[in-house]
Amino acid sequence: MANCFALMGWSLPVIESMQKTGRPFVVVSFPDFENYAKEHGIPFLPYQLNEWSDTSNSLDLAEKLKPFNVDVAVPLFEETVEWAGALNSIYRNDPRVLNRAFLFRNKAMMKRRALIGGLRVGLFEEVHNKEGVKAFMKRLNEANLQLDGEEDSWVHIKPFAAAGTVGHRLLKSMDDIDEKCEDGDFPCLAESHLSGHEFSCEAFIHKGKIRFLNITEYVHLGYSNFIPEGHHLASKRQLIHDHVQKMVDIFGIEYGMVHPEWFLTEKDELNFGETACRIPGGHILELCSKSYEFDALAAFVICHDPNATEEELNEIFPPADFKPKYYHGNVMIYPQKKEFSKLVIPEQLNNEPYFENHNLVPPLTTQKLSGDRAGFGNHFGTINFRGEDPDKMRDLLLEYEKVDFYI
Amino acid sequence: MNSIADNSVESFERNLEEFLTSTSLTRQDKASRLLSQIDQLLQNIEGFHYLYEKTPLLIQNGIFDNTPWAEADKLVPHLVKGTLRAGHPSSSYEVISELRLLAIAENHLTDSTLDAESAAEFLEEVVVHNLEFAFKELTEVSRETMSEKEVKKAHLLIGYLMKRIPLQNVKNKLIEEVELSCAQRPVLTKKTRELIGFLHNKFDVPDQLFSDDPISLYVNAVYHPSTGSVAHTAIDDYSKFLETADESALKKEAEEMGYHMLKTGLVSHHHALLLVKLVRDHPDLVHLCLALGETGIAEWNTYRKLISDIILENVTVENFQCIYGFHRMLERSLFSRRPIRIGIENLRKIQINPQVEKRILKIQGNKISNTTALQYLIGGVVKILGQPLGVRQGNNPTCQSARGISIWSQHAPTKLIDIVIRVATRNNLVVRFENTEINSNLLKKGLMDKLDYNLDVVSVVLVPHLDKIYNEMMLKSMGRGEDPHKWVNPAMYGQWIRVGFKSAYDYLTNSINNFGLFTRTFYAAFHPHYNGNRRMIYPNPVGIIITNSKAEMVGFHAVSLLRIKEDASGTVRAYFMNPNNEGRQNWGQGIRPTVSKNGERPGESSLPVDQFASRLYAFHYNPQEIPDYLQNVEEENIKQIIQLARQSWGKSYNWI
Repeated sequence: MANCFALMGWSLPVIESMQKTGRPFVVVSFPDFENYAKEHGIPFLPYQLNEWSDTSNSLDLAEKLKPFNVDVAVPLFEETVEWAGALNSIYRNDPRVLNRAFLFRNKAMMKRRALIGGLRVGLFEEVHNKEGVKAFMKRLNEANLQLDGEEDSWVHIKPFAAAGTVGHRLLKSMDDIDEKCEDGDFPCLAESHLSGHEFSCEAFIHKGKIRFLNITEYVHLGYSNFIPEGHHLASKRQLIHDHVQKMVDIFGIEYGMVHPEWFLTEKDELNFGETACRIPGGHILELCSKSYEFDALAAFVICHDPNATEEELNEIFPPADFKPKYYHGNVMIYPQKKEFSKLVIPEQLNNEPYFENHNLVPPLTTQKLSGDRAGFGNHFGTINFRGEDPDKMRDLLLEYEKVDFYI
Repeated sequence: MNSIADNSVESFERNLEEFLTSTSLTRQDKASRLLSQIDQLLQNIEGFHYLYEKTPLLIQNGIFDNTPWAEADKLVPHLVKGTLRAGHPSSSYEVISELRLLAIAENHLTDSTLDAESAAEFLEEVVVHNLEFAFKELTEVSRETMSEKEVKKAHLLIGYLMKRIPLQNVKNKLIEEVELSCAQRPVLTKKTRELIGFLHNKFDVPDQLFSDDPISLYVNAVYHPSTGSVAHTAIDDYSKFLETADESALKKEAEEMGYHMLKTGLVSHHHALLLVKLVRDHPDLVHLCLALGETGIAEWNTYRKLISDIILENVTVENFQCIYGFHRMLERSLFSRRPIRIGIENLRKIQINPQVEKRILKIQGNKISNTTALQYLIGGVVKILGQPLGVRQGNNPTCQSARGISIWSQHAPTKLIDIVIRVATRNNLVVRFENTEINSNLLKKGLMDKLDYNLDVVSVVLVPHLDKIYNEMMLKSMGRGEDPHKWVNPAMYGQWIRVGFKSAYDYLTNSINNFGLFTRTFYAAFHPHYNGNRRMIYPNPVGIIITNSKAEMVGFHAVSLLRIKEDASGTVRAYFMNPNNEGRQNWGQGIRPTVSKNGERPGESSLPVDQFASRLYAFHYNPQEIPDYLQNVEEENIKQIIQLARQSWGKSYNWI
């Protein structure tokens, strides 16, 4: 068992889960959280995680964490992945741990590594300006044997290091490149469009092996997902498991959790999208906890610990043959109008046997949305459903995405 | 637990478990999720019972931590309505807070800051302030701001509290409620009857015909308004009693029932049996039974055959309230008008369209009934013709339609009968508008989504069509740079509406433009002190801005201005018909329309004219009549009105 976990970042549900397991931990985060931590008796070390300097660096941080006897660092935010990697390199005396962390933070590097290892990836390239993207699209068109008058091949651009869908743009034509790209986007990664059924996995890794694999069915990326996966993906579980293990081997991941996104084609081939190694968005671990009846947040932390014993792991994870009885899904609610003043819960929700709960917040008096939002922006809350039929679950999630709760 | 689905209880329990096992870190989020299940349970009375039992557990585990409901002794009864209106999650917290107070009042829960007696007093006040929810007769503010689901929640809450707490202290308030409701002589008496029924069940009302208890007049009017019906309350017994009663007993019955009807505007079902009996066997007693004065008696004597036929064909123990309509119709001498007699004779012969029939029977609760849709309809027409100012819009956003029915009943009753016949037979209405025909059946949607059936028979037949037609006329008149009402009102209501139109709102600049001149024009046209003491002939369909008790703008509303006149105390008042369910409202700045004691006729609301003018934003007038009078209006007067307007709804606009 670890002496003490350093939780890098801020997540109340994770902190609560760790309190419940009774394991020692310390939260490392921005000084803004210090007061709250004090009030609620949370062991806390304030640190300027957005600064790298003579006084703010991993060696200094490791020094400051000594009194807590920390021996495992766990990243909670995308932005703390390098910090945790650096600390774990020190704790495990293995410089490559940090390098692996960098791998997660540079999508071009990540793709190259995947390609070398033999995963199917799209065509990709680092680009530095609009012209670069155009040249990339042009070469892609050539490779796809485009004839005159045919549509351009789709290209995605994404920042090298950003969570999920932040800064992600889909470009469907040369004109799109001029209209949608901004100078601030560059440099970034350009890649060809991968077709197929998109989904994510959350693989809990210990000693380089998948200890527990969750598959998340994306109903509408950024809006809704459910767990466990629906019938079709479930029938490909072994295939998916094998690919995830392959990815883990290629990346040399030993501990923690990976959150890769895949595309399953009609020919049952898996295309690798990208992967992260922090807590996924969309309240995925919450859904996972409910369906598999374990504390996925605590498990996330514990599987970072190289010293975790077999008993410890058996205790925290569901049994290998566990079959979830219920599907748990959620849909994130965004206001559909630009200006609104009221939260209205529709009556139809009352008669919905799958309805579990929601935490929608009422708007401030007449709230206006600004036009720009990062990724999918801030949602106003989540509606949770629970039921036995994945097809009905999918229909429900799609239905409620369209309901306007804010008028 | 019959009508709460098992799965919603299970789901609640799962959320409760999560809430109870959470630490302070996530408790607020878990509380918010738990509340979303509470919101569902508060949709039926079993849910209230269930949650009442859970209240102590919720309170002890800090459901109210970090909320305005945290300390029971700091709560304020008159703020409850505001939070109920605010919707979920506030309204859900509010209901749980009331259940907590009920638990304290019933010694089911103890609170160190509040004793049982204070909790009960608090809840009594809550009931008094929220009677509109008890009977689902909403004020304009509630109707505008609350969803159906939220109304139901509030309705169940107040009903639940009324059943559980002793209401001795609010009895007088409830009686006043009955008196003021009756004073308005509404066509639809359901709410008043429910309130009287509630008082009857809850309090000891002396079981005698005439007593000092102010409530007994109303209880008698509804349940047994005569010596015979006190002795023979059951309808079969009363029927037998009538068969054997001699003339003097019948005369007494007629006088006593007539008295109660005249005093309250309410009729009992016994009255129907008596009236039919008298029309058939003792026509000379009918005028007593209908409580007729000289005009009415003359009318009855002249058209005895026709009126008798209509009564015998249509009055039943189920649509008995129309007897008051007959009383008022005769007093208005409407049968003396030949077109009305013909209209009613035609109405008696129609075949009602099945869709319309469905609507009519739906408002009777679809109960098994011996009364036909046509009988209900004719009874309904009689009521509307007798009580033009008693028409209301129910919980529908259709003030224009209700206003139209009222205006036609007053000034174009034959037009009204004609429209009723057309719609009742074809479930369609075709009207002309600026050289085009508008056909209601070809239109998709009006202002309302779904008809609320808290309506009288005539409204339930007409409103779905009038609403669509009105809306279509508005659409056709948009984009002309002026308020579309300018063209729509005369086309919709009748050609006597003045084509001159003034609006305080300027469409081109999106602002309030020269409100001083607007008010000056209004006074020059209608204020008897400034307009050469000319009186209004026809109702004026004016637009007002409804404000809440904090004088904040809520929305636009249509009322009919009927007359402007000095009351007994010398105050010049505006008298108007407000189609909203409740004439008494609080518009902030001390502006509270009244419905009686200030010279109002039954169904009218009134305000000192300056206060009325401060909420007015559009009216019709004759521009040619104005120039001579404009300079009469005192500047000081205008200034006060502008100030009232600017400091209330005016804050929502630019002024130029």
